Amino acid sequence: MIEIQNLYKRYHGPFGGGWVLKDVNIIIPDGVSVGVVGKNGAGKSTLLRLIGGMDVPDRGRVVRRGRVSWPIGLAGGFKGSMTGRQNVKFVARIHGIKKSVASLIKEVESFAEIGKAFDDPVNTYSSGMRSRLAFGLSLAFDFDIYISDEATAVGDRAFKAKAREAFQKRIDHASLIMVSHGEGSLRQMCEAGIFVNEGSATWYDKIDDAITAYHQSSGLVTDVADEDDDYDLEDDFALPTDLASVDEQLKSLRRESAKIYKRQIIVDYLLESESSPSSKRDLEAERVTLKRNRREVKRRHHALRSLKAELDEK
Amino acid sequence: MATKTEQIPNSPRHPLRVTWDVWTAMYLREMVSRTMSDRMAWFWMIFEPVATIAVMIFIRTYIRGGKHIAGADFVPWMVVGLMGFYLFRETMMRPMGAVDANRGLFTYRQILPIDPVIVRCFVEGMIRTFVFLVFILVGSLLKIDLIPDHGFGVMLDWIGLWMLGVGLGVLLSVASGLVSEVGRVVRIVTLPLLLISGVIFPVTYVPAQYQEYLLWNPIVHGLESMRLSFFDSYHTIPGIDMIYLWLWALTSLSLGLIMHVRFAWKLKAR
Repeated sequence: MIEIQNLYKRYHGPFGGGWVLKDVNIIIPDGVSVGVVGKNGAGKSTLLRLIGGMDVPDRGRVVRRGRVSWPIGLAGGFKGSMTGRQNVKFVARIHGIKKSVASLIKEVESFAEIGKAFDDPVNTYSSGMRSRLAFGLSLAFDFDIYISDEATAVGDRAFKAKAREAFQKRIDHASLIMVSHGEGSLRQMCEAGIFVNEGSATWYDKIDDAITAYHQSSGLVTDVADEDDDYDLEDDFALPTDLASVDEQLKSLRRESAKIYKRQIIVDYLLESESSPSSKRDLEAERVTLKRNRREVKRRHHALRSLKAELDEK
Repeated sequence: MATKTEQIPNSPRHPLRVTWDVWTAMYLREMVSRTMSDRMAWFWMIFEPVATIAVMIFIRTYIRGGKHIAGADFVPWMVVGLMGFYLFRETMMRPMGAVDANRGLFTYRQILPIDPVIVRCFVEGMIRTFVFLVFILVGSLLKIDLIPDHGFGVMLDWIGLWMLGVGLGVLLSVASGLVSEVGRVVRIVTLPLLLISGVIFPVTYVPAQYQEYLLWNPIVHGLESMRLSFFDSYHTIPGIDMIYLWLWALTSLSLGLIMHVRFAWKLKAR
């Protein structure tokens, strides 16, 4: 169980700073997995850091009953000049494991699947290998509560699937507190939700309610979903029948796709440099629409391609 | 996927137990990275002081003449001074980068900013002591008289110099963690220390009326006291007092530890 009582947090930077979190009171019961949603910069990660004990609140307190992990898949603590094995040993020692270090190392090694590289210095690793090692390390320890900041988004597809599966197995006897923008994985992994907005955090018994509240506050009803989530849009555009018009449509779709892509890059760039919240919100909204349009264009493109193949066969 | 997971000890560990586990783990990590980080790390550990001592002796012999030291052989005198000085300087300078270098480790909430600092001070002392012992051994084989006349006294002075480094190191690790300019300033300020601490030139060369200012520097007390224990017939300036050095060491250490307690989270968060 995690109990957050009257928690206040702010960061004193050189430019001052208001409260990131203000008067947060939440009790997370045992065995309930929680998804944390909110805008970028709303304080989700700060809340997670406070729960994980990596930061202290300015006022109030966090009571942890049970073993809480470090953020899953965080590779920051690796020393580059040391091998993967040495780094794993180090973390095991910190956690007071002595007798069974060997079996722990074996487990991390088999999960990370990085082969011989396990005995190479970590600074020779690719970022994917690093996160594999970090993820394997987190899962090798038996925590009561795992915390995760967009964790399942590491590694290639196969590893992602494996990680997700391992994660879900873990949820059977441990709970999870995760920050993510992928609503598909939030719905899949979590039961309850916390919505962080403008310094306050609200508890929802159902993750769907938290996501709905998030959508309502941001004024966007569109679904910002995982890239891997499947879409079932109805066929609403007329398919041409002759080869010439198919080719023409394909061409125009390609042009349109390129146009949207360009705009996407520009919006992404603007978002990074923009500071005023109102225009930022506009840009955010535009980005979402662009994303949806692009997906739509892609879908049409696919349909036309298969149609063309069909026509070619004829 | 393997489901056999590691059982972390179920009952919470005692805080001291946690600290001990962290220290042992970090000690091993630091030792490995200091001695194995590149192919020649261990070699430079020994060779670097040899080279500096050779350069210093060369300067003293050929450029600034006068190898005469009252009551001691020149080479052992120089070795003792440089070893003591490096012990102090390295234990003071190394911890300054410790907090920053181990920032990634603060994801594990068991580790506090003071831990890498203390571990580095300890590792540095161990390494320097080992190097000094190697010097004494090899020197004796080469018929250079490096056996101390009062071994116990030398040990106490050695520990005193070490503690002075530890105290200032702990203090500066917080200070430079909070205000990064401190590190730069300290690096500049320590440059002339080699000269004003009587490492290369005997303090007796300094005119009598300035000697009292020289004695404000606690390192002089440590080095001269160690030489007095090393060489029975050695003569130095009056007023050498280890109590003065220990006051410096303990004051800075206490202040440093207090600041570490006060600013632990600020150091972590930055």
